[in-house]
Amino acid sequence: MTTFIARRLLLLPLVAFGVTLLIFALLQFLSPAERAALFVTDPRQLTQIDSIIRKYGLDQPVHIQYWTWLKKIVRGDLGWSQTARMPTGRAIATFFPATLELTIYIFVPLILIGVWMGTRAAVHKDRFLDHFSRFFAISLRGLPSFVWGLIVLMIFYGWLNWFPPGRLSLDAELFVASPEFHRYTRLMTVDALLNGQFWIFLDALRHLAGPVLTLILVEMALLVRITRSSMLEVLRQDYVRTARAKGLDEPVVINRHARRNALIPVITLTSLLFVGLLGGVVLAETIFNYPGIGKWGAEAAVQLDIPGATGFAMFFAFLVVLGNLTADVLYAAIDPRIRLQ
Amino acid sequence: MNVKRQLLALLVFTLAFSLVGVTGIAQGQVVKNPDTLIIQSIGDPESLDPSFAYDTASSFVFLWNVYETLIFFNGGRTDQYVPMLATEVPSVANGGISRDGKTYTFKIRSGVKFHDGSTMTPEDVKYSLMRFMLVDRDGGPSWILLAPILGFDTQTTRDDKGNLIPNIWDLANRAIQVRGNTVAITLKEPYAPFLNIMASWSMVVSKRYVVQNGGWDGAKATLAKYNNPEKPDVQELFDKGSGTGPFRLQSWDRGTGTVTLVRNTTYWRAPAKLARVVIQKVEEFSPRRLALQNGDADIIGVDRANQPAVTGMSGVRIVDDLAELVTSPALFMNLKINPEANPDIGSGKLDGNGIPPDFFADVHVRRAFAHLFNRERWIQEALRGKGRVANGPIPYGMLGYNPRGKWYEVSRDRAIAEFREAHGGQVWDKGFKFSVLFNTGNVSRQTAAQMVKEAAEALNPKFKIDVRGVTWSSYLGLMRSKKLPMFLVGWAADYADPDNFVVPFMHSTGTFTGRQGYSNPEVDRLIEAAARETDPKKREQMYFKLQEIAYTDVPTIYMVYPVGFTVMRNWVKGWYHNPIFFGYGYLYTMSKGQ
Repeated sequence: MTTFIARRLLLLPLVAFGVTLLIFALLQFLSPAERAALFVTDPRQLTQIDSIIRKYGLDQPVHIQYWTWLKKIVRGDLGWSQTARMPTGRAIATFFPATLELTIYIFVPLILIGVWMGTRAAVHKDRFLDHFSRFFAISLRGLPSFVWGLIVLMIFYGWLNWFPPGRLSLDAELFVASPEFHRYTRLMTVDALLNGQFWIFLDALRHLAGPVLTLILVEMALLVRITRSSMLEVLRQDYVRTARAKGLDEPVVINRHARRNALIPVITLTSLLFVGLLGGVVLAETIFNYPGIGKWGAEAAVQLDIPGATGFAMFFAFLVVLGNLTADVLYAAIDPRIRLQ
Repeated sequence: MNVKRQLLALLVFTLAFSLVGVTGIAQGQVVKNPDTLIIQSIGDPESLDPSFAYDTASSFVFLWNVYETLIFFNGGRTDQYVPMLATEVPSVANGGISRDGKTYTFKIRSGVKFHDGSTMTPEDVKYSLMRFMLVDRDGGPSWILLAPILGFDTQTTRDDKGNLIPNIWDLANRAIQVRGNTVAITLKEPYAPFLNIMASWSMVVSKRYVVQNGGWDGAKATLAKYNNPEKPDVQELFDKGSGTGPFRLQSWDRGTGTVTLVRNTTYWRAPAKLARVVIQKVEEFSPRRLALQNGDADIIGVDRANQPAVTGMSGVRIVDDLAELVTSPALFMNLKINPEANPDIGSGKLDGNGIPPDFFADVHVRRAFAHLFNRERWIQEALRGKGRVANGPIPYGMLGYNPRGKWYEVSRDRAIAEFREAHGGQVWDKGFKFSVLFNTGNVSRQTAAQMVKEAAEALNPKFKIDVRGVTWSSYLGLMRSKKLPMFLVGWAADYADPDNFVVPFMHSTGTFTGRQGYSNPEVDRLIEAAARETDPKKREQMYFKLQEIAYTDVPTIYMVYPVGFTVMRNWVKGWYHNPIFFGYGYLYTMSKGQ
């Protein structure tokens, strides 16, 4: 397994190289002036486009631009992200923990509730619980995530004032910015506990609640449906019938024999989901003004922030490789018939 | 759905949702965070270094709040000044302005402390002005002092190859002199708007603080290292600073886009009433609106389209019809279109399937379009009626604005008559086809382009106009390469003087004229003479004359002088408007209370 993991990790630089090359190639469809637009936000700066192009070498041949960029990468310099107002590497380090924290809070309840509901729906096929879960899934998926986001925001902030947007409220933000507060992990809830500031922990939870609730509502449906259909297929297998014939308790049959085998497609889905969430959930982060990596990545791409967009793409490629690797390892752990080579 | 479409859908949905609104819990609220003003804005600063930043969001944070200028604007006036870090406003009468109008002497206030504890000296003033001029990053504001002080042929500190001009430091050093407790600035030529520029751009920083943090020491030998910085954060005042203003910069969290200012307790005047000001970047309108409703924000940024969503909200007031130093947008016609690989002029000939590069060079074509475009209707439709019809580049209310200046009446018959005369009658007989482009997302410009199309096509079936939306970056690229036949763009003031408007719009070297190929030697002469003239009456007459030429030559259809509005909680006190202010007002006078 170690060799397998090492080999897959070795792929990383290759994937990153391919991604950046692709981005650079695509950007060449834009003229130097178009790429300089990032720095020209006001008509007052129109006369200086030429010097901006010269300064950033935007009129250089693509291979020279790429080579210059690559040399900087080797020195650990991912370039200045104009949209983040900071170096790209630092932008990733700043925004990613917020998204990671959000993802963790989404993922655990999402998996637990989703797999449980999917299993119950399969076991109670064509009965009330199954119909309810189907209705539930279709209803949730029926509305796009930004609509759910706005509904949650209006109800839980506009009316009830329970779950405000942002990452922290003003008092907490000021305290966190003070020298008294140490940022160990940059995961706000964890840091709050490590600093012994339970009120900040609660405040951070209040701010997480809105996007977490929205994304659970939206992502739940797919997980329930996939788990259900996978379970239904497994429940029809001979070994399940044999297990029941042996007189095993139904919970043992369902939980240990059937569900374990039904989890392979669920793992595929959840690994993709996990990576997708880590890559940022643009709309939820935008609606809840949550300073995550997705909001920044989207802004960098839209505004042609080349260092920002390229750095984000590289980082996301890294996450995808890591996510797939994790899924492969989990397959083997769950199903002993699968061997990693 | 791709992200862009989803964002667009989000925008539409948000607007709809916001219009429906929620009654909220605003009634009877007590003042939240009584000594902290919270502003939720759309953008965030680019840099907090006054020599680097050239955007509204940055200027709002530090100008007059953190860094102060030698003189300041008197209340809401943009043409009257009061002393600030200088003890009096220079004039010819008090000897502050030399008889030849070239030398301005500022008596520097004593006993003023910087936020770092050091005392401000005339040397700090000279250093700050030199630093502002000589850091000179590409696309930055340095030209605003460079050009009037060293002459308008010096718009930058670098030559065409990007190398630092060897004697630029000497020129600046010679022009700005410390004499006792005064700082004297000698201009290459008299320049009437200079006091106005000083009221906005003479921000004083602590030299000691800058040098201690690794910044330029003011010496000639070290200038090259600090000139045209590659990245904003290599500058020592990027995210920290030491000025003399009523607030000092506590933090700028770029992760959340939050700037926090705290009261300067050693301020040279009475300390500010607010203990803290928090400026947050919140891009999406819904959370901004709900924060205002819940009292979590005191002032929020709202665009005109979203105004109904905050109108009538309990505990909230909207101050509308605020004068702005803006002429935006205007409809530019390109007199020398670049035909190279240019699909927006069709065949490139006057054959009914395109236009030649000099299509708009014929004044009859330009006048015809001026008669066609119904600007009042556009203001009603695109700006909800908020704006005054323009008649030239100089905004309403500014010196040189001519309230009786003529403009073209909307007339189908006159438009036809002009088209019949254009290009020897060929335009009317053969027709034309070209594109009017706008930058996507800008609905008001899209509306204008659509109105031009509809008006022209209703005149003659042989007239065809395509309306095409492109990204801002593409728009910019096409404008730079002079490929846009007709384009919409606008201008906001760097300083409150007509010169800052007539140059970009009308001078042959101007920002826009350079992209539309318009040049008139008489216009250039008048602009340059008006800039040198110090008698306001004489200047006014020259600008009136320029307005007449803008009317007769009509290379540009001036559309509107827009008005602004500010949305705030009722408990915000002491807010006042001056058209030159960036963002949300002057924080020093503001407080919160029932």
